Parts: sequence; structure tokens; C-alpha cells
Amino acid sequence: MAVDGVDLDLYAGEIHALVGENGAGKSTLANIAFGTVKPDAGTVQASGTIGLVHQHFELVGRLRVWQNILLGREPRRGLVIDAAGAKARVLQLASDNGLEIDPDAFVEDLPIGIQQRVELLRELQREPSVLLLDEPTAALAPAEIASFFTTITHLAERGTAIMIVTHKLQEVISYSVRTSVMRHGKIVGSMLTASTTLDDIAREMVGGEIPAVADRAPTTPRPCLSVRDFSAGSGSNRVTEVSFDVQGGEIVGVAGVEGNGQSPLADALAGVATYTGTLTISSSKKRPGVIPQDRHREALVMPWSIVENAILGRQHDPGVQKGALLDRKVARADAESIVERLDVRAASVDVPIKTLSGGNQQKVVVGRALLGEPDLVLAYQPTRGIDVGAAALVQSRLMEARNAGAAVLLVSFELDEILTLADRILVLYRGNIVGTFDRAEIDRAQIGRLMAGSK
Amino acid sequence: MNARRLLAGPLGAILLALVLMAAAMLVAGVSPVDGFAALFAGALGGPNQIAETLVQTTALLFPALGICLAFRAGLFNIGAEGQLLIGGLFAGAVGSHYAMPAIVAFFVLLLCGFVGGGLWGGIAGVMRAKFGANEIISTLMLNFVAVFFASYLVVGPLRSPLATGAETAPLPPSEWLPILIPNSRLSIALLVAIALAILLRFVFSKTVFGYDLRAAGEAPEAARRNGVNMARMNVLAMTLSGAIAGIGGATIVTGVLHRFNTQLSPGYGYTAIAVALVGDLDPLWICVAAFGFGILEAGGLAMQASAQVPKDAIRVIEGLVIVVLAARRFVATQTEKTTA
Repeated sequence: MAVDGVDLDLYAGEIHALVGENGAGKSTLANIAFGTVKPDAGTVQASGTIGLVHQHFELVGRLRVWQNILLGREPRRGLVIDAAGAKARVLQLASDNGLEIDPDAFVEDLPIGIQQRVELLRELQREPSVLLLDEPTAALAPAEIASFFTTITHLAERGTAIMIVTHKLQEVISYSVRTSVMRHGKIVGSMLTASTTLDDIAREMVGGEIPAVADRAPTTPRPCLSVRDFSAGSGSNRVTEVSFDVQGGEIVGVAGVEGNGQSPLADALAGVATYTGTLTISSSKKRPGVIPQDRHREALVMPWSIVENAILGRQHDPGVQKGALLDRKVARADAESIVERLDVRAASVDVPIKTLSGGNQQKVVVGRALLGEPDLVLAYQPTRGIDVGAAALVQSRLMEARNAGAAVLLVSFELDEILTLADRILVLYRGNIVGTFDRAEIDRAQIGRLMAGSK
Repeated sequence: MNARRLLAGPLGAILLALVLMAAAMLVAGVSPVDGFAALFAGALGGPNQIAETLVQTTALLFPALGICLAFRAGLFNIGAEGQLLIGGLFAGAVGSHYAMPAIVAFFVLLLCGFVGGGLWGGIAGVMRAKFGANEIISTLMLNFVAVFFASYLVVGPLRSPLATGAETAPLPPSEWLPILIPNSRLSIALLVAIALAILLRFVFSKTVFGYDLRAAGEAPEAARRNGVNMARMNVLAMTLSGAIAGIGGATIVTGVLHRFNTQLSPGYGYTAIAVALVGDLDPLWICVAAFGFGILEAGGLAMQASAQVPKDAIRVIEGLVIVVLAARRFVATQTEKTTA
């Protein structure tokens, strides 16, 4: 059951943070409160309307800002839409809420932070008494996050009850009045944020101690991946003439907000997209270990068993392919080795992979990428959407691969993950590397500013 | 397939279609009991009836297996009808032109069907791989091209001077497929089809090619990123899919008609879509499904004669089965989306 016997009160004028791991039931609860999901039992009551801002924005990219905000409620003059009146209404709404917006801009041309503002304004024009925000800062740069919280704090002061669903505890501590923690569909703790600490909330979320990541061991660097004047991708999501190296025995983290060229960079390095420039890989292995961004679409065949998935990508290698046939014994041995090394929780290696939890699916993807000890590992959001325990395990395996001499390129939108793992950090902004930091000289604030495009 | 899944899917679809058809008979003033009795007596009432049912089964089985291969590769080949026809055309043209001893004819003429159907399917595959053309549209359109192309040939260059209608000259008896049940039209083509089904299942489950093909169908992006050449797979799968349907056309020429004409198929290639779906895209279940549809095809005429239910009512069942199965798939994908 996604949500089980939950009681939750939101108060006018307060920001209430709902935290929990992925799959704890936070989004489902928000959807029940909003009305998109019907509860099996129980009631939702509000003193006025309820608004919901989704984690993935529900905007029409090819329409203008005002068209999106007033979609379905456009003011009319006779048979036609009163565009001038509509724009005036949007501008009024924006200034009432202290949000600056260009009503004529096309939504698809706007940065994510501004798109979110559009989504927010669309909910606000219905004057909700309760506003629910599902992972509102997931796609924002650190600087945008601060301005976002200024806006909603202001909203709360004017009497709106606000609930933010999040897994970023630092934001909870900084901005919320009350915190509720969800675990396995239940609310396991509700408290005044001022009377608790980040560590307490984290422990409550996980239901125990936070597992530690493997230690960093000294290594001897040697050249492995070298990229020069490397360009890939098209449109706004591309990298332009970047140059960098990843040595064996180090983890290089690529920090940046999603959509600044990470995908084309990772795809080109993995050999599944075209590029210009030079790419040199010094490796004794046939191919790098690749952990793609989207495990459902890019890494796994969901109806297949762990056994069949274990050899995907190596099905043409000698040893896996015997004549025209597949060597099932090799596939089974690989699957069992993945299950053992990554502690995959599955009834057997023959169950369809879609029956596994997201964390266990991701463990299979990571285990497969690390089979045969690759010299180079390309990891793209390796812990996206998985629980803290599985994430720590995945991060530990990446660290161990590095300790054993592998070069690891880590692309992540979670700055904390990069700060935990990386020996060196590259900051990617609009397809350019705008900053490079060695582990010893990491300046979190400076990285945050660079990610948002300021100096 | 377990029992529950079978009932929720293919079997349920057939049952529902039969119930709806019974209702239609009632509306038409015919007792459903009489109607269905006539249907089953016509299809299974004696050795001759069973033989004719198996002739229809065979004719449906080849294109259904071809469709199965394409669907498993994620390609919606709606063009089995045209591929079957061109396969038959190649076999009829070669067979009527050259006299061959039996054993040579068996292989050469089936190969002709394979090549003809493969060519026809391959066109759609190349169009998809090179230009991104939607194979549903191209295969469907190629069906019409096939009919008119074949019609032109049998009223023109390939027409037999002795024939009364638009058809090729008859094949010499040495080229006819051996008959399984005396005094029937049932040839060894049935055994070829069943062997092909077994082979196909083996290819799917044991070979690297089958692995790549299923990956391409189930998860195209994951397949592309993991060593499957998608363009090559599209061409190969469409070619093989058409080739299998084409063998079916060749067996109708060498086993049943002993000549080629454009009335070769009353729509086997379309009915075969329902057969493949009812068989849940599993070659062995498709054999069972083909037999079920063979009963409908063979029994339909008897039903028309003795119970005054038009044969076209059978098409109603087939149509309903497709609608129910398509609806089920749609509901399943929508449910997955909302729970994801």
C-alpha cells in the first residue's frame, strides 16, 4: 500500500515539509490531497481550493507564458480570446505575488526555474488556500532554489497553507515550520522543524542509521580517458568544445543543472551518439562500464529476467555467444555474480526484472556495468530515485572500482552526491566547463553559483 | 501462459466474441445453437471436414508466424496479405514455367515463396530503416501494390493461353505437394508450418539473433545502446517476416491451387493478425490459435448453407477478437503508465 492510515494537518501561513525516501508514499499522498488519486478510505478537507505543482511540470512548451497560465480559462471577447486582457491579468497576478515574468515568452525557451514560476502562477491564479509542491527544487540550481523559497515564504506569510514534498533535508531545515516524515506509507514522525536536527530527520526517514560509503583509498593515477575539443548534442542541450581528462583511480564528477549538456556528453562517451573532437580511451577492456541515466528505457528490458538482462550489451562477445546460440550458463553465472556483489534482493535470478524494486533494478544495472572490472566507468545519475541504503551501496561500489584503479566519470544533478564521491569536479553550464575543482579546494557556494551561470 | 492470463486475454476475447456473435444470430432470427452446430459440423464433422479445416489452419499459420516475428521485433507488419501473394506469385511463375522433379520442386518453389515474400517485406523494412517510414502504413499500402502488380502479371505476361481466367498455367503434377489425407486438399504444408513454428520458438529463446530481436521489440532504446544494430534489425525482421508469409503463399500454389491467381487468399494475411495476437505472439500457441480460426474459416461456409448465417459473420468474430485484444493491450499500457 502506497499510503496507509495517514493523518496530516496543514496550517494556514505555514510551510510544512513532507519528507521520506523514494517510494515512501509522499507523491501519492500529495495526489490524494489534490484529488488525482482516490483514497480507499479516509477524507481530505480544506478551507478553500487546493493547488498542486507537479515535480515534472505540466506545461505546453510551444504556447506562450500567458497561454499556459490561463489555459482553459482564457478571457474572451466574443468568439476570440482577449489576448491583451489575458496578458494584463497575468502581469497583475505576477506582480501581486512578487514574481517577475514575461507573458509573451514561449515556455520551451525558458530556463527550468522560470518554467516552474509559470507552473506556480497557474496554480496561484486559482487562489488556492492550500498549495502542494512536489519536489519543487529537483531541477533548480542552488541560486534558483533560494529565490524559490523567498517566493513561497512570502506566499505563506499572506495566509496560504503550503506543503513541500522533498527529499532534500537541508531545505527542510532552512525553510519549513513543521516537518512530517513518511516511511513505507505511514507518517512516522511529525515535529516542529526548529526543535529537530537534520540528522534526526534523516534517521527517521531511513528507520535507522545512514549507511556509510566506502572509504577513499590512495591510488596511482594513470591516463585513461582524454577528451579534447569535444562537441556533441544539438539545440540548447549540448556540449561545446570541452576538454578534460579522467585518470585511472579517480572519480571525476560533472556538476550542473539538468539540460546543460550532460546527456549528449555521456551518450557520446558511451559510443551511442555522434561527436566531433578527439576522444582517447586507454583501456585493455573492450568497452567501458556504462550506467545510463534512465534504467527503464536505456538499460534494462523490463519483462526479461535478471539472467537475460545480465548479458545485454555483451551478447555478441565470444564466450557469451557460442556459434549462433547464447551460452545460458554464462548468463546465469553473470546474473548470480551481480546479485551477490550488489546484494540484489530478488526471489531468484529468473524473475522478470520489472518485479524488482527500483533500487534493486538499479543495482543490477550497476553490477552489470562493473562486471569484468572495466578500466573506465561512465555513471550517469547512478542513484536516481533509489532509497538511501541502495544508494550508499551503489556509491560504495563506484568508490571501490576507483580504489581498484578504474577511471570513473560521474554525472549527477545531486551536488551532494558529487561532493561525496568526486576527486575532481567539473562544473558544466550551457555546454561549457565553467569551473574545475580539486577535492582539496572544493567551494560549495562557488560551485552553486557557477551551476547557475554566475561567476 | 497460465490459465488466468489465457482467460483474461486471448481466450476471454474469443469467448466474448462468440457470445456477441450468438447475440447477433438472435437478432437475425437464427437460433445460436443451430448456428454453432452447423459451424462445428462443417469444420469437424468428418475426416473431409477436418482436412479442410487443417487446410485453412495451414494457410493462416504461415502468415501468422511471419507476423509474430515482426511483432516480436516491435514492427507492426500489417502486410502479410501482400507478402503471401507475392510469395505465391514467385512460386507460381517459376513452377509453371519450369518442370522440376518433385524433391527439387519442393525446395525451389518454397524458396521462391521465401524470396518473393521476403522482398515484399524487406521493402517496408528498408523504408523504415532508411527513411523512418512507418511500417504500418507502408506494409498496408504494399498490400494494394501487390494485388495490382500480380493482377497485371496474370492478365498479361504470365497469363496462360489455355486458361479461361486470369491465372498462370497449371504446375506440372510433379511439383504438387504430397497430400496427407487421401481425397482432400491437405498437403504436407501443414507439417512444414508446424516445423517452422518450432524452429521460430527455438530461434527466439536460444539464439543471439532471437535475443537481439526480442530486445529490439521490448526495449528499442536499451537494445540500441547495447549492441543491437536497429536499422539492420528492422530490415532483417521485416524481410524474414515477409518471407515466412511468402512460403505460405507458395504452399497454397503448390499444395492447393496448383497454379497462381489473385484469388489465392481470401484475406488470410489479415485474419493472421488476429491469429498471431490470440496466440499471444508465441509460435506454439499460434498453432493452436490457427486451428481455432481454421474451424471458423472452414465451418463458416457450412453455417451459411445450413443455418442461413452469412459467412461474413465469421469476419465479425475475427474483428471483435482484434478489438478486444487491442483494447486489453491499451488498458494494460495505460494502467502501467498510471501506476509507474
